Amino acid sequence: MNYMPGTASLIEDIDKKHLVLLRDGRTLIGILRSIDQFANLVLHQTVERIHVGKKFGDIPRGIFVVRGENVVLLGEVDLDKECDQILQRVSIEEILEEQRSEQQAKQESERVKLQAVKERGLSIPKADTLDDF
Amino acid sequence: MFRFQSFDEDCTLEEEEEGGLVEEEDEIDQFNDDTFGAGAIDDDWQEEHARLAELDERVRDGLGGANDAPSATSVLPPPPSGKPLSSSSSLPPASSSSSSSAPPPGLEEAGDGDLAESLARLILGSDPAIAGVGTAGSDRPRFPPMAPSQAPPSGLSAPPSSLLSYQQHQHLLHQGPATLPQVNSHNIWENSMGFGPVSVTPGLPSHMEDSPLLSIIKEVGLPKRPPPVRSEEGRDLSERVPPPRSSSPVIGSPPVRAVPIGTPPKQPMSHPMNHQIHHPTAVHVRAPVQHRYPPPFPERLSPNTLLNIANSPLCRPPFPGGVGPVLSQIQRAQLLNSQVGPFPRGPGPAPPLLPGGGGGFRPFFGQPPQRVGPHAPPPNHNPIRHNTTHLHPQHRRMLTQRLQSRGDRGGRGGGGGAGDRRNRDPYSNLMTQREKEWVARIQMMQLQSTDPYLDDYYYQNYYEKMEKRQERDRDSSRKEHTTKLITPQVAKLEHTYRPVQFAGSLGKLTVSSVNNPRKMIDAVVTTRTDDEEKREKQVWNKRRQILYTVEKMYSLLLEVQDFEKKFLQTPEEQREALLEQHKTNTLQLYNSLKEKEWDDRVSDEQCLMIMSVRKGKRLIARLLPFLPPPQAAAVVMGISRNLPALAKKDKQDQVLCWLVEPVAVVIQSMSSSALTDLLQELQGSEGQLQKVLQNKFGVTLLYLILSEGERMQSSDPNCQLMDDNRWTELVFSVTRELLNVPPSSLSPPLFTPPNLLSLFSRYVDRQRLELLQEKLQITALSR
Repeated sequence: MNYMPGTASLIEDIDKKHLVLLRDGRTLIGILRSIDQFANLVLHQTVERIHVGKKFGDIPRGIFVVRGENVVLLGEVDLDKECDQILQRVSIEEILEEQRSEQQAKQESERVKLQAVKERGLSIPKADTLDDF
Repeated sequence: MFRFQSFDEDCTLEEEEEGGLVEEEDEIDQFNDDTFGAGAIDDDWQEEHARLAELDERVRDGLGGANDAPSATSVLPPPPSGKPLSSSSSLPPASSSSSSSAPPPGLEEAGDGDLAESLARLILGSDPAIAGVGTAGSDRPRFPPMAPSQAPPSGLSAPPSSLLSYQQHQHLLHQGPATLPQVNSHNIWENSMGFGPVSVTPGLPSHMEDSPLLSIIKEVGLPKRPPPVRSEEGRDLSERVPPPRSSSPVIGSPPVRAVPIGTPPKQPMSHPMNHQIHHPTAVHVRAPVQHRYPPPFPERLSPNTLLNIANSPLCRPPFPGGVGPVLSQIQRAQLLNSQVGPFPRGPGPAPPLLPGGGGGFRPFFGQPPQRVGPHAPPPNHNPIRHNTTHLHPQHRRMLTQRLQSRGDRGGRGGGGGAGDRRNRDPYSNLMTQREKEWVARIQMMQLQSTDPYLDDYYYQNYYEKMEKRQERDRDSSRKEHTTKLITPQVAKLEHTYRPVQFAGSLGKLTVSSVNNPRKMIDAVVTTRTDDEEKREKQVWNKRRQILYTVEKMYSLLLEVQDFEKKFLQTPEEQREALLEQHKTNTLQLYNSLKEKEWDDRVSDEQCLMIMSVRKGKRLIARLLPFLPPPQAAAVVMGISRNLPALAKKDKQDQVLCWLVEPVAVVIQSMSSSALTDLLQELQGSEGQLQKVLQNKFGVTLLYLILSEGERMQSSDPNCQLMDDNRWTELVFSVTRELLNVPPSSLSPPLFTPPNLLSLFSRYVDRQRLELLQEKLQITALSR
């Protein structure tokens, strides 16, 4: 609690390990070093964690400066709980491979669905254009 | 020296390492650190050494064989006690205390027995010493205020001070507390023996250097000595050491490089604050805010420190996350423990003192926040605190309450636990306290408002409710709590920017900033002078105008139409008025149609304009019944006059025929002369009739007129239709036209009045009549 109890502030989160979820779907884990009034973040020793199913892989990224508007949510990582993970950690290559195949599978299913919908004479607007709003 | 270097390389010193190192080598290490490190100043050290050597001589002489030989050789007691000694002898105030004067080389050689002995002596000696405190001489004030900065092992130093004479003991003891006569004897002992329940005077005035010092010394006692192991930090810090403070005559000027009084423990938040305290204009220290100098005791509670404490998350753990790369308080304490441990080479009384010394830290940290609590945010110093306009008063109260509770909790509970884990983060505190405050301040700015209920309704309501709840819970007799809500009112600043202009200069200054952005380019909007566009626009405008006129007329018309209904509904008295209104309306309607100056003539222009729009035609059609006959007649005449044009315009809409009915009505009420006129109008211009005949409406109109004429003639013997020849002539021309016109261009009328035949039979011979009959498909119904 700082000056304003009852409010949300990142000041007390500084120098703690955080997990940050970005709008493009990336998950970053790093130590929050600095903030500003827009909730721009400076993450130190950042690791990008890719989750596929029950596996995950870390890509070390170094220092990140994240523009505040791109953050969906962030939360402090409990260092104790971090140790006992249910998920299985794999190598970077493996996780990237997994991610690729997952993407492909998703695209495939999407295509099939679109086809079926078209056959029935309906149309679904593309969601990607509505992404930002 | 290699030790020295190794410290350089490895910033994060491990505790065990320290201890190990210490144990590996002799006491020389510590001496080195103190001698060459941050704590020592060469010249001072030398001087001190000399002094102490002299002292030692004296001591040896004085005590006779009381001291061991080795101890005899050792001049200096362990660092802390060396200080008081040195200071008591003479003083370069600036340096003495900071120079963690190396413990005499021979000190470690002091035996255990010595330790015990000396301790006992010390204890015994302390009483008279205590008694003698009050009589402490004038040299007290000379003792550097940095005396407090000495490590608690002033108590530690006591045992090894077997070297010390009683006199020295006295000095030492006197030195322990604030070197002031007012110091409680009770305090002296505690302080010198370690870090007893130290308390920091809350609400120390920050602006005065003297008084805080005095009070601190009074209350706090001797601070811990800076740890010996600080070589690299010392070097690093050399540029960050705050400039020397002005000396106070009472206490004596503090040593330059001494740990500033009130230097916080390795807590990032308090550090810059303390710098601010001491040197309001000092350089703001950036980068990892590590306090190289272990704050002997947490802080001199300045308002800023208060603020920091208020910043509970930052101070909540007494050792908040991110204690710097350099040793934390705990580390130092432990270091000292380990260092001093081997020192006297004996478990004996020494160890118990150490934990006390080290442990003394913790309660120390805990307490100041406690003390801080009850004291209101100090005045003036802290902009944030002071700018209480941001917070609801209840909010503020809550904050201070929380501070206290947190302080309590922090003191007792927070202690060692988390601190250990977090003391190895070399990158912590990249964001300085000031920066954090800055962000918080910005956030608080959002709480400012001139209309709190508008801007932050829920915040205000929340606190209001809380206040009410509290009032209810407490006694109603307590009037102090029934505070009225005084919402922070901050005047909205004037934000318009007027560019600065100097007389005689050209233009305006181009300085721009975030708060007053300047236009770089003056862009002027010019309308397009394209002719075509203009014309197009004009056309559009005209159309819009027409529509507008039509709309307005419609509203009038609707009122006129509703008159009947309204009339029935209004009470008697108001009927008159309503009638008047009605008349006005109808008049207005007509006026909008008629020619400017001529009452009985409809403006062609206007008529055309309105009729060019479909809605306009409809309007006329609806309008006609409501107009008084002469006006209606005028309208009809206008229509017929302009029929060709209207017909042309009507090609798309084909709605002229709407007009048939009302026109018919009008015609039937027309007088003969009017009728004649009408017919004339219809044939007015050259070739008009032809065009009329081509148009359905025209034909119909014609027929209507003729039919009416016939009716008049046949029904009323006194009809004046035949009075002048006009009618006859007109009819003749009509028949002529009708015969001449090719059948294809003759459009069929809406309906054919039955008495046309009789009309024609009057004016044409049989042959033509038959022709006409055929053409027009008039059936001989009448006659």
